[in-house]
Amino acid sequence: MAERTDAPMTAEERVLIVERVFDAPRELVWKGWTDPEQVMRWWGPKGFTSPACEIDLRVGGKYLWCMRTPQGQDFWNTGVYREIVLYERIVCTQSLADEKGNVVPGAHYGMSGDLPLETVVTVTFEEIDGRTRLVLRQEGIGDMLEGAEAGWNGAFDKLADSLPAPEIKGG
Amino acid sequence: MVTATASDPISNTFAALADPTRRAILARLASGEASVTELAEPFEMTLPAVSKHLKVLERAGLIARGREAQWRPCRLQAGPLKDADEWIERYRRHWEESFDRLDSYLQELQQKEKKYSRKITKKEDKNGREN
Repeated sequence: MAERTDAPMTAEERVLIVERVFDAPRELVWKGWTDPEQVMRWWGPKGFTSPACEIDLRVGGKYLWCMRTPQGQDFWNTGVYREIVLYERIVCTQSLADEKGNVVPGAHYGMSGDLPLETVVTVTFEEIDGRTRLVLRQEGIGDMLEGAEAGWNGAFDKLADSLPAPEIKGG
Repeated sequence: MVTATASDPISNTFAALADPTRRAILARLASGEASVTELAEPFEMTLPAVSKHLKVLERAGLIARGREAQWRPCRLQAGPLKDADEWIERYRRHWEESFDRLDSYLQELQQKEKKYSRKITKKEDKNGREN
């Protein structure tokens, strides 16, 4: 079996983990995640704003977060809370949505139109000496690459073994 | 309403990979170049049907086709698959930058709270003295 350098990642490698220590007590960080007014203060990358946010914080409850690009385009995300442990842990799904909270495929935003995308986000809050360590785990991002049909893993193995691709002559 | 564009290369890659037949074609090409006829055989597909899939894969940059030979052999190109991995990096950047903002906000919030609690304390002192 060939070395997998530069090969597409395996399912487990495609889990995204982002960790951050905030210089704030855990209750405050928790509130930052669960109070709509507070979420609107930080949701979205640099230069983005968040003009709207709804949160129904209970298991089975939904949220609808909006972020606006510097160019003024709105992106909505929705999801369902699967698990809530006060000040400790939130598990929810995350999908693209329209402004009414209906899940939409990527095509709605000019992305891949074939698959609706649902990821599962787990956020844990851990207090360490008055600071808060937050760990975000997002699973399913790579599932965009996987079909329901079997054989994809085998295909990936073969692809991996074939990398890097040979130079194309006359292309 | 957001208008869909087909100009984003990563979207093209994902769209191309979203089909099981196209993934099977890629898997076949991973073991070496093949002609349209050769590709059609194991999939029990008509040549036009295979050609259609090949066009999608070609547009996504996942395969390249030789021009010199009449049978135009298809070959796998790996570049866009690595781009797909970059998708995860986009998510990472999204969270990192959001967390930067959350961090600033939490600092701001705590500064305000400190000021507020100082004010309360002063007021209580004053009241205390008045009583």
